[in-house]
Order: sequence, then structure tokens, then C-alpha cells
Amino acid sequence: MRLNTEFMKETFWLALEGVPITLKITIIALFISIILGFILALVEIHRVRVATPIITAYVSLIRGTPQVLQILIVYSLIPSLLNAIVQKMEINFSVWDIEPIVYAYIVFTINTTALLTETFRSALLSIDKLQMEAALSVGLTPFWANVRIIFPQAFEAALPNICTTTVNLIKGTSLAFMMSVKEVTAIAKTQASYGYNFIESYLDIFVIYLILCLLVQGIFAIIEKQAQAHRKIVRSV
Amino acid sequence: MLELKNIHKAFGKNEVLKGVDLKVNKGDVVAILGPSGSGKTTLLRTITFLEKADQGEIVLKDLNLDVQKATKKDITKLRKKTAFVFQNYGLFLNKTALQNVMEGLTIARKVPRAEAEKRAKEALDKVGLSDRYDYYPSQLSGGQQQRVGIARAIAVNPDVILFDEPTSALDPELVSGILDIIRSLAKEGSTMVVVTHEMAFAQDVATHVVFMDGGVIVEEGSSHEFFSHPKEERTKQFFSRFISTDNYII
Repeated sequence: MRLNTEFMKETFWLALEGVPITLKITIIALFISIILGFILALVEIHRVRVATPIITAYVSLIRGTPQVLQILIVYSLIPSLLNAIVQKMEINFSVWDIEPIVYAYIVFTINTTALLTETFRSALLSIDKLQMEAALSVGLTPFWANVRIIFPQAFEAALPNICTTTVNLIKGTSLAFMMSVKEVTAIAKTQASYGYNFIESYLDIFVIYLILCLLVQGIFAIIEKQAQAHRKIVRSV
Repeated sequence: MLELKNIHKAFGKNEVLKGVDLKVNKGDVVAILGPSGSGKTTLLRTITFLEKADQGEIVLKDLNLDVQKATKKDITKLRKKTAFVFQNYGLFLNKTALQNVMEGLTIARKVPRAEAEKRAKEALDKVGLSDRYDYYPSQLSGGQQQRVGIARAIAVNPDVILFDEPTSALDPELVSGILDIIRSLAKEGSTMVVVTHEMAFAQDVATHVVFMDGGVIVEEGSSHEFFSHPKEERTKQFFSRFISTDNYII
């Protein structure tokens, strides 16, 4: 077996051009999911009558099904559904003109939100009840007690899991090729198919994903270090 | 100044407080004694609604709250007039010693930053931590953490400071340091309610002693008469072991 190194080099640079799309999906999905996941976690913890069971069911549903299936369902179901609605209401809008990446945003946000809801829920529950009692005792309202004392600690506790979720999200976006989004994997697959150089292509993006994930882990390591300033042990002399 | 009337509290079917009345005058140091499970900590916690009593009235100066009708606003108002020192310190783990003390001033009471910092430093100096302003709780020993807890309490000039077994989590060497601080606060005229197992301390510092058992106050009185002539059989029984070991109590 001989690797076509010339092809590898070429494809590597071509696949790199897909990185912005990969990162775009990752960042948008992550950004929305962090906000949404945190809110859903709060609702779940506070046992809101109707909302909490719905959230619990949503989280179980997402965690209990393969991501590939979620992609296939969203990508085939939503356009048809939208189209039916559009036609019924006689709106002049072509559903088929929606860019595929929009569906990627939707799938990965739905998926990541469920994971982060769990992450934030466990992080919030991990904060000692005494922290809240102390905050209330110094005269803070429950709102300020949460904002000043509980949430920062919970967020810090959640950081390692947010990092894991982010890394998984980046890797997960490689499935976006199924929605004909031209991200890293899609480009590599297309290039490979011209001359059946699949091994070379896959090795290329293997490296690209590895670098991306290492970078993300590095960034999170820095954030964690910042957030955990209060955990550093000062040796008193 | 602080008055509790007919406080009832049950956890499920377990009735922990069965109608407790307590009166605390300005400058009093009230020690609440009693065996474990007698409801003394619960009583202390109901004062600031850390535990919401099922029934009863809580009066603090001009604030008169029926426990069942108290609104969130009332409760916050009450909490701003009091301070609580916890058995396990309860310091904010994400804040330095100074920030721990300042939190109740800047955020809760809207004291300007500069003044808050000045007051917080004074409070920390008072408990002997002038060299630990910027230390996080994880960098402080248990005794130091409890000092921060006390500094946090006194910095807000509360009408009454509530102590929940402030020395129970400390090793014996550090206990006396904390008790000395509370003693000096008593000398300055601070009003305090202290749940404690430290008999010698209660006898020495408290002006008023309350003995609880089974969710009711069995006996109360001035420190002197309480320790020298306990009236109730249950109280005598409880103190017998202290009296037999520490002669000077008699």
C-alpha cells in the first residue's frame, strides 16, 4: 500500500477551508445551548409543574437516540413539515431555499442543549446548600444569592463537562456532511471520491479534528485555571 | 428586642419545635443548651427563616412577623437586621475573606464600595485576620474561616448575631480563640444568641441560659441561678456529668 502524499497535501489544505464552517456550527450551537441548557436546568431543578417533566422527557429522548438518526429526522422532517405549513398558509416562501447549514444549527443545538441541561443540573445540585443559606443570611435576596454565589460556583463546576461536550460537538459536526453542509468531512469525502483516495482523506481530517479538539481543550484549561483561582493553594511562609 | 412567640416546626411527622417562646433583650447573650435533637439549632434557624416555622410569631424591634404570612420582602428585611454564624463556617467559596465580608454590605445593603471595604477590613482586623484579606476559604484553616464568618457577621452591625454551634467543627486548640472573640463581642454589648455545647463558656459569658429538650424550653434563667440551682429534674440530669467533672461549676 502506498499513500498518495501529493493528494494528501492538497486535500489537507482544501479540508482546512471547511474549518470555519465546522467552527461556525460548533460556536453557534454551543452558544445557544449554554444559555438554553442553563435555563432548562434551572427549570428542571425548581420542579415547575408542567415544564419540568417536559424537559426531563426531552433530555431522555435526545440522550436515548443516535445523533445520526436525529440528523436524518430533522433534515428530512423539518423541510417537509415547513413546506406543508407554508403551502397551507399560502405564504410565498420557498422552503427548499433554506441553506442546509441552518438544519445543522438546529440539530446540533437541540442535541447539545440536552447534554448541557444535564451538565448544569448536576453542577447546580453539587453546590452545598450552606452556600445559599449563608448568602441569604448576609441579606442577599434569592436572586442575588444565585447570581453572586451559586451560579459562578455551578458554572465552574460545569466547566470540565462543558469542555467534553464542546469537543464532542466538534467531532459530531463531521456528521453534517449528511445534510450536504460543506464542512471538513464533507470536503474530504468529496475529494476522496474522485480517485478513491479515502485513506489519505481520512488521515487528513483525522489530524484536523485532533488539532481542533486539542486547541479547544487548551482553551478550556486556561478558562478553568482562571475560574479556579480560589482553589490554588498558597503556601504561607 | 427579639421575641419568638409560640414557634412550631415539624419535619414531616417529626415535631421538632412544640411551641417555643423566647425573649432576648438588647445586650443579652443567650446560650441555648440541650442534648442533640432537642431542637435548638432548628429554633435558631427559624429566627431568620432558614427554616420556615409552621406557626408562630417573630418580632425584631419594629418588625413583627407572623410566620405564616411573612412575605419574601419581610424575610429579607429581617435577615438584614440579623447575622448568622454557621457551624461549618458557610463562607462563600468563590470569594476572598474580604469579599466574603463585603458581600452583605455592597450587594445586600448598598453600602458604597470604599466604605464597605473599610468596614470589612475593620471587622477582619478585629478578629485578627488583618493579614488574610485576599485569602480564599480553601487557603484558611478552620479557625480562620470561622473568624471570617464572625467578621462577616459583625461588619453589618446587626441587631442580633445568631451563632449555631460556632466551635463544634473546630479542633480543641482553636475553640478558645473563637470563644474569646465572642466573649469580647459580649463585653462590647453585642446582642447574641448562641447554640453551644461549651458549658464553661455558657456559664462564663451568657447572661441568660435556655435549656431545651424534646422541642420545648425545659428551663431558663440567668446564667448564675441556672448553673448553681437548676430546678427541673431533666436539667439537673443533663448537667450532672459536667458538675461531676468540673468542680468549679458548682
